[in-house]
Amino acid sequence: MYSMIAVNTQTQMRKGILEYCILSIISRGEIYASDITRELKKAELLVVEGTLYPLLTRLKNNGLLSYSWQESTSGPPRKYYQITSEGMDVLKKLDVTWKELLFAVQISIANREII
Amino acid sequence: MNKTIIININSIVFHIEEDAYENLRTYMIEIKKHFGKSEDSKEILEDIENRIAEMFSERIQLGRKEVINMEDVTQVISQMGRVSDFETEILTDDNLKESIESDPTDFHKTSADAGPENNADEPDYSSLIAKKLMRDMDDKVLGGVCSGLGHYFNIESKWIRIIFVLFFLFGGSGVILYFVLWAIMPKAQNRADKLSMRGEKANLQNFKKSFDEEMKGIRENFSGTGEHINRGARSIGDGLGRLFSSIGKILAVLILVATGFTLIGLFVVLVLHVLNIMGFQNDVYFPPLEVLQPTGAFFAVLAGTLAIGIPFLALFFFLLRLVFKTKPMNNYASMTLLASWIVSIVLILYFVISTNQEFQEVSTISVEKQLAKKETFIFSENDMRVIKASDEDFTKKKFNLNLTEKGLSEVLRGDISIQFEAIDSLKNPYLQYNYHAKGKTYSEASERASKISYLVNQQGDHVIFNSHFSINKGQLYRDQRVAITAYLPVGTKVLLAHELDHKVRDIWAHDCKGEQKNYSEWIMQKDGFKCIQKLKEEKEKALQESLDEKEKVEEQTKEGEAAEKTDQTGIAQRADATNAA
Repeated sequence: MYSMIAVNTQTQMRKGILEYCILSIISRGEIYASDITRELKKAELLVVEGTLYPLLTRLKNNGLLSYSWQESTSGPPRKYYQITSEGMDVLKKLDVTWKELLFAVQISIANREII
Repeated sequence: MNKTIIININSIVFHIEEDAYENLRTYMIEIKKHFGKSEDSKEILEDIENRIAEMFSERIQLGRKEVINMEDVTQVISQMGRVSDFETEILTDDNLKESIESDPTDFHKTSADAGPENNADEPDYSSLIAKKLMRDMDDKVLGGVCSGLGHYFNIESKWIRIIFVLFFLFGGSGVILYFVLWAIMPKAQNRADKLSMRGEKANLQNFKKSFDEEMKGIRENFSGTGEHINRGARSIGDGLGRLFSSIGKILAVLILVATGFTLIGLFVVLVLHVLNIMGFQNDVYFPPLEVLQPTGAFFAVLAGTLAIGIPFLALFFFLLRLVFKTKPMNNYASMTLLASWIVSIVLILYFVISTNQEFQEVSTISVEKQLAKKETFIFSENDMRVIKASDEDFTKKKFNLNLTEKGLSEVLRGDISIQFEAIDSLKNPYLQYNYHAKGKTYSEASERASKISYLVNQQGDHVIFNSHFSINKGQLYRDQRVAITAYLPVGTKVLLAHELDHKVRDIWAHDCKGEQKNYSEWIMQKDGFKCIQKLKEEKEKALQESLDEKEKVEEQTKEGEAAEKTDQTGIAQRADATNAA
């Protein structure tokens, strides 16, 4: 029961951060989905690739991302994602929020020892 | 030994072992169940399938490993993640969750051939997608411009080509247009470009379609040949291509240099013209410009230079791009060039039409002036431009004139004609001047005609014609002409100086060669102005002819007498014969 609550909160926290990270990665320039996965795996935010696609699709349908098809030397053509100007606006807002959150968390955990 | 199954994921064909296939299918059904049937899920599944296809093709090595086995499938699945991973790792969007339970059964049929069928019921939006104007490199004769235009306007490229050839035949404008378009239109380099050129949506289905078409083409080209032959043919093709491209490059550099010089030349001509219009005289001058006011002439020269220069400029940049692989001109610049080219052409048309209006009405003013009566007149010319007769320093002459005659060279015209008419021998000779000019209205034309100043000068026997008349300062060229008719009493002799030969009309002064070196000799008769030399020749000829006729008559009478004699002898002989009998 209590572990379920923990999992739920974890999921909520990760979900928000994951979107922020994806937008950040894509904002650097055109990128292929599995390259995004690689970076997120390195950051230990993501374990499997399949998780990324629904997220990308949703961000795209919300108008924060766009993509273009590009031919690949191996296999089928690839979708390369890039951030839209709306996405850029959202990212800037998230940047501000992230700094606020970071500050809030630091203040909150400052007087406590984390095990 | 294992049985393999052929599957098709997003248009790519894989051989897969049977047990691996079963595993993959179960996985796909799971995923499909997980994401449900919402609009989003279609795309997510497409993405996942596409990625799986990519991972499979990365695992296949031609010649060594051509079949997907269980291990591959397991690894791909673990990389992609199971549905359980998706759930723990976060996401399952709320809207997706709702549709999870809804009817997963129909997936079964399409799981193996997953991909194209998923989208089969999607409406065709191709007609709604904005097309891009690009050069089609697959269907090209020169640069693929025509086929690109064909795609853009939905016309078969051969019709566009025919139109271009027609344009080329009628004035060559097609060539210029072609090169301009060649420079402006980007190449359709990859498949996405090609799709947007045809106005098709750049989605997976269309990618597949275009890929299939391409493959079909390749298969048709190389049917029945092995891979190595295929490669050999390609490398020969590449070699030829390289050879042609190096020849083409040399040609391109040559044309580039020529175009560069043309541009410089055009610029120099423009500068000289502008200087001329501003009043700094030089020899470079395009005669039709004199019908315009200085400001008009300036714009006309500018427009003319742009109209010729911009196509050359476009060609220049295009070749620059071709030879040095520089970046294409940005759209902004090329569109500006195209626009100014069109504007300059419109401007030229405007000048042509508006100036034409200025020549609508004709006016002629007629004036008669008496000449003192003489037995013989000597008609000669006074060249107004010549202050010191020398052909070497032409411009200096002009400047001399400028200094002495207050810029008269601008207003001097040489359209003077002289005619001769006969009058009664007792009357006095006179000259009739017809001053002629054109204008927008009749009054404008006649005002212009009245401003022409030209009179002939008589000094004793000498009648001196100035070589030019003045249309007076501030007047533009509007076809001003002076026609002079000399009415001379019958019997008057005229010595016509050869420098007037090009001014006289109706008679051929060149043909009239007399004893005098610088003059041709003429006499006015009742039936017109006659060359004295010709008259003499005619008389001699007539004399000769009459002599000839006399001789002929004499000969004929002699012959007649001779014939009579033979007749008589014949009769005598016959008489003898009858006597003998």
